[in-house]
Amino acid sequence: MVALRLDSVTGNFGHKSFCPPKPKWAAPKVLYGFQKLILVNKITTMMGELEELQSLLHQPLEEEYLPEIKDWFLSILRRDILANIGPSFWELISSNTEQSEEEDVSGFVSAMNVLFAKLRPYMDVADHLSKKRELFEEMKPRDDATGFQVKVQTAIRALLLHRTTAKFQSCVQRFYRKAFWSFHGNKPSNSSTILNNSDGAISNSSDVKMDETLDEEENSVWETKGTGDTITEGYGSNITEQFHRINKNLYTTGLLERVCGEAVTSIIHVRIEEFVEERCKGEFEQSFIKDLEQWLNTQVMGWLRTIFDGDQGETSSGQSSSQTLSKWNERLTYFLYQTYAKLRIRELFNIIVEYPDSHPALEDLKESLRKTDLRSRLIQSLRVAMETRLLHPGVNTSDILTQYVSSIRALQVLDSTGVILELVCEPVRSYLRTRDDTVRCIVSSLTDEGNSDLADELAKSNPLNIHEGQGADDGEEEGDPFKWEPDPVDADPGQKLSSQRSSDILSMLVNIYGSRELFVNEYRSLLADRILTHFNFDTDREVRNLELLKLRFGESQLHHCEVMLKDVADSRRCNANIKSAKGGKKDVDDKENKEETQEQEEEEENVDDDLPDGGKRENLDFKAMILSAQFWPNLKEEKLSLHSKVQTQLDKYTKSYEALKATRTLFWKPNLGQVTLELELKDRTVSLAVSPLHATIIMHFEEKEKWTIQELSGVMQVPSTTLRRKIAFWQSQGLLKEDPTDCFTLVEEDSGRGSKEGADEVIIESDDETESATASTQSQTLHVFWSYIEGMLTNLNSLPIERIHAMLKMFAMPGPATSEISEHELKLFLDKKVKEQELIFSGGFYKLPKADGQL
Amino acid sequence: MTATVQTKDKRVNQTKRKDAHSVSKRLQQELMTIMMSGSSEVSAFPDGDNIFKWIGTVKGPKGTVYEGLSYKLTLEFPADYPFSAPTIKFKTACFHPNVDEHGNICLDILKEKWSAVQSVHSMLVSIQSLLGEPNNDSPLNTLAAETWCNQPKFKELVHQFLKKSKDEST
Repeated sequence: MVALRLDSVTGNFGHKSFCPPKPKWAAPKVLYGFQKLILVNKITTMMGELEELQSLLHQPLEEEYLPEIKDWFLSILRRDILANIGPSFWELISSNTEQSEEEDVSGFVSAMNVLFAKLRPYMDVADHLSKKRELFEEMKPRDDATGFQVKVQTAIRALLLHRTTAKFQSCVQRFYRKAFWSFHGNKPSNSSTILNNSDGAISNSSDVKMDETLDEEENSVWETKGTGDTITEGYGSNITEQFHRINKNLYTTGLLERVCGEAVTSIIHVRIEEFVEERCKGEFEQSFIKDLEQWLNTQVMGWLRTIFDGDQGETSSGQSSSQTLSKWNERLTYFLYQTYAKLRIRELFNIIVEYPDSHPALEDLKESLRKTDLRSRLIQSLRVAMETRLLHPGVNTSDILTQYVSSIRALQVLDSTGVILELVCEPVRSYLRTRDDTVRCIVSSLTDEGNSDLADELAKSNPLNIHEGQGADDGEEEGDPFKWEPDPVDADPGQKLSSQRSSDILSMLVNIYGSRELFVNEYRSLLADRILTHFNFDTDREVRNLELLKLRFGESQLHHCEVMLKDVADSRRCNANIKSAKGGKKDVDDKENKEETQEQEEEEENVDDDLPDGGKRENLDFKAMILSAQFWPNLKEEKLSLHSKVQTQLDKYTKSYEALKATRTLFWKPNLGQVTLELELKDRTVSLAVSPLHATIIMHFEEKEKWTIQELSGVMQVPSTTLRRKIAFWQSQGLLKEDPTDCFTLVEEDSGRGSKEGADEVIIESDDETESATASTQSQTLHVFWSYIEGMLTNLNSLPIERIHAMLKMFAMPGPATSEISEHELKLFLDKKVKEQELIFSGGFYKLPKADGQL
Repeated sequence: MTATVQTKDKRVNQTKRKDAHSVSKRLQQELMTIMMSGSSEVSAFPDGDNIFKWIGTVKGPKGTVYEGLSYKLTLEFPADYPFSAPTIKFKTACFHPNVDEHGNICLDILKEKWSAVQSVHSMLVSIQSLLGEPNNDSPLNTLAAETWCNQPKFKELVHQFLKKSKDEST
């Protein structure tokens, strides 16, 4: 045949595209060139041309012709795709616009079928050609042959799908989604499926080419390979068959990944997201990673296998498809971890809230973080969550602290180096620093056993010492140097090494302020409060707390507190001593007051208090709390002159004390203390535990039934406003009444209010007096500032407020930021001093009032 | 003996090498001590932003001719304080045997007997007591030294002196 054609050849011998590799074959090549040109001229349809080529192949060919034939084949293919196959395919795809999902899918299926029908002959020829090649060159490696296949596939891919329309994409998407759902809808109910598509007329399966209509697939059972369910076989195999066929065809034409990769990926991603969401959301008490991986391997990968392996059981494609599958597997596993991690990151705040229970979730997250790169996202999102959910005025300090502690613990699980913790909790720390009651909260929860795990934390054995700022500077490296791990990349290089990043919760808390002193001071005033408000001399628990705290903060820091507790014990001994010296006089009621000795000691006292008819018992039983003022925090000063009866008792006590401890005396703090009173009225007896101020008021009514507020204020040396507040308490008890204004009388007989209080009712007083017995730290700092201000005004005469503020800032505020004072606060403070005539303000300058002879 | 001298020198050298920071820290500390001492007899405070220049106030000791008066002083600290003495002068004109007309003070602890354990507070207290107990053997102000034995006359002169300098300044 070649020869025959040659006869009619007239034309161009020097065709440039033929470059014979070896000169001795030059002639036949030229001959073939002629043949091709003729064919181009003569055959108008591609199919015809293809047939020509095919028939050519049936003849014995010389090896050298093969490349030319291949080129020819490719050119036919190219032209055919560009001229016929491509346009008609796209026509089909885009013809059905605005259609329902089913129609879309069926349209897609038919378009695909047409496409494959058209491509089939080419594929056959290509197959044939590559086989021919093998015949000729058995000794050559195979990749030459597959190289041709690849070339063909590339040609198809490039020419056919060089542009894809959105329509096409959505069709692919829908088709695969359907197939996916059918695959999975099938899975769990293998043999006992109830067919739901009773009304769905499934089209005859004979015609799979053009008019496939698919309806009600959502619930229909799609048969898949290997399920072998006889009931559903007839139905589902329809779609499934199409599915497999298309996949197979796509595979053979090399279009599979190009066409479906994107769609399948997005479908699976959506599915993974849904699944993870469904399965794991809000469930923190269980580890999911294994489950999820298993699910991915069986369910998702199973489906992918049906796509890429097909159901043909072809062994030839086995290798490449398993490669593809493992690639997919890696990708999807990564995505799974990412999805899961994202979910957990979103929920991290709640996970932290539920910390000890949510440990499995944290372990999962840790695992996922190791495989993904979501660390910075985690930090970012948790920071935001903290800021929006925690750090606003509506949250109690104690809640913030609880969450902070949980965060410390939880993030420790997540990242043992503590870098995440540091980054995330920085805003929390700085926020806590702005709250006044933080220290108090921490200290009280530390020492309050009922409340919290902080107390347990304190009791933990082998505590770390709390270092301030710089941490330990010893150069010793602990642990195996081979196990050393560098800090995570997001660690702040300016910070200390990871080994020094403490995991200790207490030190983390204490370091919020960066100073132990603040804590120790707060603990001191808290302890003082507790001792002074309860007046029980039982200090065992406090001693235990103190010992625990000493382990952390060191002996020297807590020396003061130790002395305080010792004071309590000493006072008890002293009380017993003095009482026995007095001859063990016994009295019923107690009154307690506190005082201060010349050597700065303090007392609490119990005084028996009598009412009208019990006036003879002059000796009151009282216990004193003797405090060493040097070691106690400053106590609140309030002027109060006690009732003379009590005062004489106090004086007696002081005398006995002076006798007991030579060179020492007591200064009483009459405003602090507790009085247990028994009031005998005409018709009832009332027992109460009240403050000394309250007691003094009612004692005065013992002598005189009617007092005006001015009189009382004069006798007691208490401002009348305060007095009125206190009297309100007695009014509420029904013991005093105001009649007329500013004049109070004792209510001897309970008229009509009897229902409210029984005679022996004990009411522990609980009005605004619960406030701390110690002067606040703020006023202490102000006190310090005042001495500086006095100092500067003494020496520099007069200064404007800006100068004072600047000077204070420069010389008197070297400490932590907490002790700073704003100019506004300073102004208020100075104005107060001006009012108290301790300062003079004139012409914008403050100065001290002039003493005599001052220049 | 030699050994001690050496150590002392060494220490001084070391201190000189130290930057001004440690000095200002020490001064800050001293300021704090004075402020917190609550003493109304002597007082001092940095004059402006420079912590190396202070103004001090000393009240005339009770029971002396200076009683009821209060004197201002200037204190200037050297960079190697406390290893060298500060320069202390009376700002308010002071009629006193050991104080000259420019306010210079002749006090051994500020000169040859200076020691690093001195503090601003102790110096001011020394100056205060110097007011009541002048050293008439080495006077800077001979008139004052001569008049010292005549206390009423001395007092008169003190007040005159004060008034005069005040008038001059205004």
